[in-house]
Amino acid sequence: MAAMSPSERRLQKELMSLMREPPPGVHVDGDQAGQNLTQWIIHMEGAKGTLYEGERFQLQFKFSSKYPFDSPEVTFIGGNIPVHPHVYSNGHICLSILTDDWSPALSVQSVCLSIVSMLSSCKEKKRPPDNSFYVKTCNKNPKKTKWWYHDDSV
Amino acid sequence: MSKCELAEMSTAKEQPGPSKPSGSAQEEKERDERMFECNICLDTAKDAVVSMCGHLFCWPCLYQWLETRPARQLCPVCKAAISKEKVIPLYGRGITKQEDPRNNVPPRPAGQRSEPEANAGFSGFGFGEGGFHMSFGIGAFPFGFFTSTFNFGETRPGAAPRGSPQFLEEQFLSKVFLWVALVFICWLVMA
Repeated sequence: MAAMSPSERRLQKELMSLMREPPPGVHVDGDQAGQNLTQWIIHMEGAKGTLYEGERFQLQFKFSSKYPFDSPEVTFIGGNIPVHPHVYSNGHICLSILTDDWSPALSVQSVCLSIVSMLSSCKEKKRPPDNSFYVKTCNKNPKKTKWWYHDDSV
Repeated sequence: MSKCELAEMSTAKEQPGPSKPSGSAQEEKERDERMFECNICLDTAKDAVVSMCGHLFCWPCLYQWLETRPARQLCPVCKAAISKEKVIPLYGRGITKQEDPRNNVPPRPAGQRSEPEANAGFSGFGFGEGGFHMSFGIGAFPFGFFTSTFNFGETRPGAAPRGSPQFLEEQFLSKVFLWVALVFICWLVMA
């Protein structure tokens, strides 16, 4: 096997552990991720007893060569984008650990758990107030957005 | 987002759990190795260092992270304030000299060691069963030092000429002080 870069080594390790012991409601597409370590698709189920129970979502993770020093680019993709005050209809997520509060000790698994918990604590399904403006004007990469983190409750 | 929930979930998974049926020797070995994984690259820590908050990293990994965000020097695991200088190197038994001259990571800070206290030795005076301590000093030392050293500007008056009343007075004073000193020394010796 060719020598792997540090970021590939770490992604390989994360993929193995996520496939071996996935958190509840989270499932990684191992074949797809194994072929291209820099782009993963994660299938996620809404947790039981929450507003999203029974719904299925897809998350896309993109990793740069500087991962884990650089945060992954995480967006919802596919037909079902969760209706949530911090999730824009184009799939972008307003979550501080994805940019400012990223730490290299976080992982795909911990990001997935954060997103599940963010969805689970939602009280009312609605889009962010500036959704239509943001979706029209934003960059394709959510990391280019200057997010304002103001809501600590969810 | 809620950090607390996240922390709870991730630590709950890692608990060794003595109640669980113990796995094979292979599993146990794996778990032992995971305990010494760097929190950044997830490999066994090379040139290992520990932050003051107790988290283990490879020195090159931690260094790179702290260089990435110079404005926020936080522990990647617990977000405690940390610094490059305030880490403790771990020297295991197998010395691993893994520093690659091609990368420009400076060597990790050296360990800080203090000499053990020398409480054995010096039994020259065989007084009693070793419980004897002797100290010698002049109590007013620092003040005397100040008065003699920090008297700038004022020159001391010279000795008075012989025969003058001032000379007699000085002689008297010096005798008084001599006796005071002698009494003091006698008192010290008797005490």
